[in-house]
Amino acid sequence: MTTKTEQSLVGAAPGRAASAAATRGLNKIYGTGDTRVHALKNVDANFDAGKFTAIMGPSGSGKSTLMHCLAGLDTADSGNIWIGGTEITGLNDSQLTKLRRERVGFVFQAFNLVPTLTAEQNITLPISLANGTVDKEWFGYVTKTLGLTDRLAHRPHELSGGQQQRVAVARALLTRPDVVFGDEPTGNLDSKVGAEVLSLLRRSCQEMGQSIIMVTHDPVAASYADRVVLMNDGALVGELDRPDTDTILASLAKLGA
Amino acid sequence: MLQVALAQVRQHARRFIAVGLAVMMAVGFLTATLMVNASTEASLGNSIGAGFRNADLVVTEGPEAPLDSPAVDAVKSTDGVGAVYAQEMGWIAFGTSTESGYGALQNTAPAGLDNLELLSGKLPGDGEVALDAGTAEKRGLAAGDTIELAPAGGLVAAEDLAAAGTGLTVSGIVKASKDPFMMGQPQFFTGGELVQHLAGEGGPQLRSIQLDLAAGGDATAVKSALAGALADAGFADATVNTAEEQTKAVVASFTGGTDQLTVVLLAFALVALLVSALVVANTFSVLIAQRTRELALLRCIGADRKQIRNSVLAEALLVGVGASIVGVLGAVGLMAGIVAVLQAQPDTEFAALAVPPVAVAVGLVVGILLTVLAALAPARAATRVAPLAALRPADEARAGNAKGKVRLAVGVALTVGGAVVLALGAVSANLLIALPGGMLSFIGLLLCATLFVPPLVTAVGALAKPAGVPGKLAAVNAVRNPGRTSATATALLIGVTLVAMMMTGAQTSRTAFDGQLGAEYPVDLSVGDLTLEGQPLDVSAAATAMNYDGIAAAGLITNGGHAEVHGARTGVYQLAPEQLDLLQDKTLVLDGNTVLMPQGSELKTLTVTGSKGSKELTVVEADSRTLPPLISSAVAAEIGVPKLPAAESEDYYTSLPQLWVSVDRDLDAWALLDLRSQLAAGLDVNEYQISGAAVERAAFNQVIDVLLLVVTGLLAVAVLIALVGVANTLSLSVLERTQESSLLRALGLTKSQLRGMLALEAVLIAGVAALIGAVLGAVYGWLGAQSALGAFAAVVPDVPWLQLLAVLAVAVVAGLLASVMPARRAARLSPVEGLATV
Repeated sequence: MTTKTEQSLVGAAPGRAASAAATRGLNKIYGTGDTRVHALKNVDANFDAGKFTAIMGPSGSGKSTLMHCLAGLDTADSGNIWIGGTEITGLNDSQLTKLRRERVGFVFQAFNLVPTLTAEQNITLPISLANGTVDKEWFGYVTKTLGLTDRLAHRPHELSGGQQQRVAVARALLTRPDVVFGDEPTGNLDSKVGAEVLSLLRRSCQEMGQSIIMVTHDPVAASYADRVVLMNDGALVGELDRPDTDTILASLAKLGA
Repeated sequence: MLQVALAQVRQHARRFIAVGLAVMMAVGFLTATLMVNASTEASLGNSIGAGFRNADLVVTEGPEAPLDSPAVDAVKSTDGVGAVYAQEMGWIAFGTSTESGYGALQNTAPAGLDNLELLSGKLPGDGEVALDAGTAEKRGLAAGDTIELAPAGGLVAAEDLAAAGTGLTVSGIVKASKDPFMMGQPQFFTGGELVQHLAGEGGPQLRSIQLDLAAGGDATAVKSALAGALADAGFADATVNTAEEQTKAVVASFTGGTDQLTVVLLAFALVALLVSALVVANTFSVLIAQRTRELALLRCIGADRKQIRNSVLAEALLVGVGASIVGVLGAVGLMAGIVAVLQAQPDTEFAALAVPPVAVAVGLVVGILLTVLAALAPARAATRVAPLAALRPADEARAGNAKGKVRLAVGVALTVGGAVVLALGAVSANLLIALPGGMLSFIGLLLCATLFVPPLVTAVGALAKPAGVPGKLAAVNAVRNPGRTSATATALLIGVTLVAMMMTGAQTSRTAFDGQLGAEYPVDLSVGDLTLEGQPLDVSAAATAMNYDGIAAAGLITNGGHAEVHGARTGVYQLAPEQLDLLQDKTLVLDGNTVLMPQGSELKTLTVTGSKGSKELTVVEADSRTLPPLISSAVAAEIGVPKLPAAESEDYYTSLPQLWVSVDRDLDAWALLDLRSQLAAGLDVNEYQISGAAVERAAFNQVIDVLLLVVTGLLAVAVLIALVGVANTLSLSVLERTQESSLLRALGLTKSQLRGMLALEAVLIAGVAALIGAVLGAVYGWLGAQSALGAFAAVVPDVPWLQLLAVLAVAVVAGLLASVMPARRAARLSPVEGLATV
């Protein structure tokens, strides 16, 4: 277990092929006057390809904003963002849409699935939206790995919370995106089911080489990651490699969270 | 993306029912309207075609050379022509031993060209006659009876006919011809030359020459040969048609190409379409608002704006196609039903259903376009959902009201501009100016409905405060989403305004017309001249008249002298003081020095001469132009009341007494016309001898009442569609507020309180819409009447309070009904279930 300082992050080389996502000098400000919030302050970050990274920090630390900007859901006020070696800063809405469709996957805390579509239709939705063809073999592999084979014809309300999240994971993995973003993906699940989903994410990282960036405030969830990036007050304040729950808790305590 | 749309419609079919219903009704209305014309033509074709259903070719005359016997000869001698039927018709009088009447007589066709359907007996030979079943039944005639026929024109007293007519034996009874020239009157058919003799002066009318082709004849060849032969015989402009062509030609001449009825009905269909477009647009915006998170999720995982928009439009397309098909089918069903009913009536059994492909196509296309176009704005709103919205907690969906500024500006400009033009049209009494002004101002008002509908709902909602928490919540909920409330109310507002406008317009023009009649006719009813027996009316006539219900007063007005008015000798009538009340104009008075003269007499004084002497009297002009000069009975006594002169005297007709009658004010048109018939019978005069303001008023009121009834019925479709919209908005709002309703239930709101709250909300929206509509309609109705009638009469606004209150009541009750289903669903949900649903 090592704790690097903030300085070591600055040396990260954005745009490198081995980088799943990266930012340089990212700034984001919400509101004006008294309500002005500097959500991101000059954030330089690099997320390695094929790695499972967790972003942690107290509420209001800017971790969600960072993820939204990385995923092209929100725009930064200044700075640059790369996804899988492509700079996405300055892309217009339709280019960002195409990026989300082809190179990014999402797993949210709740409301991941379109309620009117079956599990299978939900999983293949990004590909349908891109008018692409589903790789049957890969679809079979992903759904089998996630244990969804006999649940494909069900609609979301017929699935348990864990199953719904697994469907969301399958959807995120199916396009073999540059990076899968998770926004508190286990926040709505009990600990046992949450552990199951996190193991799946970890396995997809290890076995399929999938890059994953997950925002969470749960130290247990973060302990499944290869690396934890700590944020506070809009800035990166440290990171942990191969952390366990105790070290994460200790680091968070230092942040005063 | 199509699968998303498909899944939406399939999974949430119930949410689309209202949209479908609205589109369906409007499309059904439109299609039925378009079918009316075609079905009328088909029915006419049926009716007309029956006349030459067995003929191969039909010759008809041109404008220059009427067909006559040389033409028949020319046809007969043409090669390839088989049997020939010169269809002749004449008007005749007929009589049985006790009764008489007028009818049409037509010759029968030779075998093969036969167009009669024999019901009993046999077809008439020489000296025999067949008649239609209806007449036979009415007159109690059967085969073997004898009737007298004579040329029409002379007297038709039964005894005259017996002496002068030709006695004929009834050979058989036939089904009435559906030929429009024969229909609706007694029909007689005879063999041989009898028509020639009985047709009277000028002979019978040779209506057509129908013919069969000889064996092996070729229609085209014979047609051109006939045209040649007829041209040689001097009938160059005669037409030779096949039976089918002839039917079409006659139908076209009847309908004249355009159909006014269709145009008028289309205007109402347009209103229905407009209202249903509003309902569709509103429903879709609500649906979009509710699906914000889902749309955002789609955007997150890679749906672009175009795909979101197309998905919404695809939903609209699906609903539009489905509803339009059902609407068209419904219209066809409705028309088929009406035609079936008509076919069951003997007089209209030729009715036929025609489903022109154009009507079906237009119905489908308009319905689909309407739905898709109405969904355009909501679809655009859907594309504005940010992907990030999926990540926010499920906060309340809000409809954006930002874009409204331009709309409001345009709305206010149109309202003000239109109102000015409308006022100008009203002041100058020019409907052509007022109409566009009224339309523009109404469109303007609809556009800026958000300005005044929500505040009014809030204001009226204050009345619900005594109902406690549910009342307060209902008032707040009703304006929670001002855009949605306004749109829902607007749909209802359109129909109610138009209905109220028609009602007020009708009432105001009725009053204006009444005033005008008062000026035109001095009394309610006046009975003039001689009885059928040729006797003058006498005092007993007034007593007779008073026997009838509905007569308020009656008085015999007798001659009081004569005067020279602009060189013409005119009868002057005397009026007893109590008879002054019979005059429409209650302000008129007569004293010992005045004579009442009609308007425009241009006299200052008039010298009236009686049997004993003359008196110069001051002229007082009445508003009426048809008033006879009137003096008081005192003056008449002073100058000597003349005796009724002998019938040969030139003064006879200007001295005949008149019976003046005033009738009860509350008599309706039907009762009045009835009364007139009774009076005519009782006084032994012709009905046309009874004239006056009351009759005119009754006839006018009858027209107005029927028009109002029809127009209200037609507008009811639009109102119904709007009410579907109210129910729909409410049920969608309820769906949206599931969690909130459950929370209220958990906190102690009873089921019935919850239901009452939703009912109040619906009543508030519907009631305020109806209120605004009634007020607007009253103003429009008054200004419209002023513009249309202002040039002829003084128009004073007359608001039909009762009718408008009834409209309000209907709206409120309908609002209550609209809340039943949504409220039941909301109340069924247990507090726990509702809170669990996200």
